[in-house]
Amino acid sequence: MSKKNIVLKSSNGIIFEVEEAVALQSETIPYMIEDDCANDTIPLANVTGDILALVIEYCKKHVVVADGDGGGSSSSSQEDLKNWDAQFMNDLDQSKIFNLLLAADFLNIKTLFDLTCQFVADTMIKGKSVEEVRRTLNIEKDYTSEEEAKARQENEWAFK
Amino acid sequence: MKTSDLPSESSDACLLLSLPEDVLALISRFLSPIDICNLSLCCKSLCSLVDSERIWIVQCEVVKVLPLLEIVQWRIGISSYKALCRFLAEVMKPLVGVWVHQNPELGNVVHVMPGFLSLVACRIIPQEVGPLGIQEGRVMWSPVFEIICGFDGSAAFFLHGRDGECSSLYPGFVMGVEKSCNVLLLEVEPRREKRLCGEVDNDVRFSFCKLAFSDRRKLLEIVTGRVGLTQPELSSGKLFRCSKDDEAMLLERRTMLLKMHKFGGNWNHMKLEDGLCYDPNQVDSNELWKSLGYGDMEDENQIHGTQRKGFSKYFKSGIKHILRRSSSSSTSKSSSSSTSSGIKRLNLQSFLSSGDFVGLSVKASKTKLSSYKGWPNMHETRFALYKLPVKNPVNSQEYAGLWGGTFGWPPGKCTEEKPGKALFLVMLTYEESQDESERLLIGTKILEGTHYVMHPNGSAMFVVKIGSPSFELFPFDDTNGEDFEHSYAGEGIAKGYGFRYPGYKPGSLFVTSKGLLMFVWKETRVVLTLQRLDLEDLLKKGVCVSPLPPCLNFTYLTKSHTNVFTPGRRTS
Repeated sequence: MSKKNIVLKSSNGIIFEVEEAVALQSETIPYMIEDDCANDTIPLANVTGDILALVIEYCKKHVVVADGDGGGSSSSSQEDLKNWDAQFMNDLDQSKIFNLLLAADFLNIKTLFDLTCQFVADTMIKGKSVEEVRRTLNIEKDYTSEEEAKARQENEWAFK
Repeated sequence: MKTSDLPSESSDACLLLSLPEDVLALISRFLSPIDICNLSLCCKSLCSLVDSERIWIVQCEVVKVLPLLEIVQWRIGISSYKALCRFLAEVMKPLVGVWVHQNPELGNVVHVMPGFLSLVACRIIPQEVGPLGIQEGRVMWSPVFEIICGFDGSAAFFLHGRDGECSSLYPGFVMGVEKSCNVLLLEVEPRREKRLCGEVDNDVRFSFCKLAFSDRRKLLEIVTGRVGLTQPELSSGKLFRCSKDDEAMLLERRTMLLKMHKFGGNWNHMKLEDGLCYDPNQVDSNELWKSLGYGDMEDENQIHGTQRKGFSKYFKSGIKHILRRSSSSSTSKSSSSSTSSGIKRLNLQSFLSSGDFVGLSVKASKTKLSSYKGWPNMHETRFALYKLPVKNPVNSQEYAGLWGGTFGWPPGKCTEEKPGKALFLVMLTYEESQDESERLLIGTKILEGTHYVMHPNGSAMFVVKIGSPSFELFPFDDTNGEDFEHSYAGEGIAKGYGFRYPGYKPGSLFVTSKGLLMFVWKETRVVLTLQRLDLEDLLKKGVCVSPLPPCLNFTYLTKSHTNVFTPGRRTS
């Protein structure tokens, strides 16, 4: 198989050259190639350089495993990949996570999108009290005590 | 929108708020209703973002009791997906499943499942399987109760029953359903007319289950006798949507039931939007006290010089007084019988006085239940149904779950003089043997369609050792086209010491490639053949028969070894 390279350009003009197999994990990029957006370079006006670097890091990791002698389906490498994903997400700060989420949505990379959604849900919202969610997501309370009590009462069924 | 537009880390704004709605909806797949409610309590802008149909339809799916297609169909009659989700999470999810009671000994299996914008509890009648087999023949069932989902996601309870020849409905209240409930209790509940502003209810509620059994039975009988409504013709028989044509009728029936729940006997003259001047589905406490054969509650209080306001205080001091007497009498051992009837009466009085009216209620609570071979140990005197711990098949427990079948080989073959065979429902569970050396597969009988039962409800039909293959061969030459895949050695039920204590004789369980299970008793070569059942599907296609009188229809407390559910049905 010939290893064709694809050139991606971030919104702030940074150029990344990647193998086709890496880039094709995005379901959006093939349409851009077909549409012949640019001769060689595909401009990604919605993704900044630092986020695109992360996306490529993720795609490279996942394409290598999928290639490796059918070892992609073995349970140990599946396990390794899971650990890598967890570490990958853990190293990011909140704004990177949200930007990565939007980039994965725009580039339509399903596994990365699901990974980020799950991470946002699990680490920022799930099982946390209202106060904890406010603190984690940096939300200022704008309810008066009466309004909050009323809203709480309306949702009482969920807390039983 | 460019992602670079998102504020950087140092900014104060909440990043979650900047996400498009569809992305937020996709994140919400990993959250539960409580998380969504917490988000909406964080701030107003987040509240308006998450209180949307997009988010709540996802939550309806997350509850995992209705497929998406039905969720969308149900939305027609309910104000929002949030309201629907409330019904699904609060009522449907905890109650769906198989509920049982010990009596009658033939089996008392109530399957609770989604109906049409409602929850329906169907009792599977002990019956015979005709020549069409279980899956194709029409299974007979009878309605036990229904909970209708109102427009706002509220729950309207109806007990089904028979009053003489008429099918009747008994409206009541859903009084609280615990998430992991295992007991479903039919009770009466005292209710206050209207709570005054700022009035705090600091009465110690006397609970229904602490009343004497005879009082509980009388209360239920009186209340069902008063609140019962004859079931309009349209509303009986068809409770499930089987085709698109059913929808209009089922919507009409639902509106009718919601009206009956709101207006009682006057429902026919009212519109659902009409205001309510009084709650019809209740009985005046004082009146109830009198119909129990006592004097006027108020008069009795006046005699003791107390006023209505001091009502409960009076009862409490009365109980204390009696308790003191009984504790002192325990030393002297005298007059204990008159004291206990006094306590009974005071208990009843204090129970009734905690409300102005009394209504029928259903409560689903979690209690500690002991069990023997998968069968819960039950109270003899409670109007209760018990949740059967039916497990789903998983990798190491591939046969777990509900099975149905008949005796005889080849299966399904009927002769002219015997056109039907008794239907058996069996729950398969896995258990460690007592010395923990072996894994056992147990087939607990939960229903049998014979005329007179040989072994108690909840007995193990067979117990086999998963670790020991059987060396027996299938005893018949005609294998009915089945290939045998596995066989396990064990023992099957046999005559023992009287009714209560069955004995066991050796036998083998055979598994075929088509997924049938056959237990064969070695000595007698008797075969019990079982297949997996889809109860929901069976009941939807089945035949609805008329229920028992109301209280009995919920729980049959009298021991019986014969079929009580279809009197006269088998005389032909």
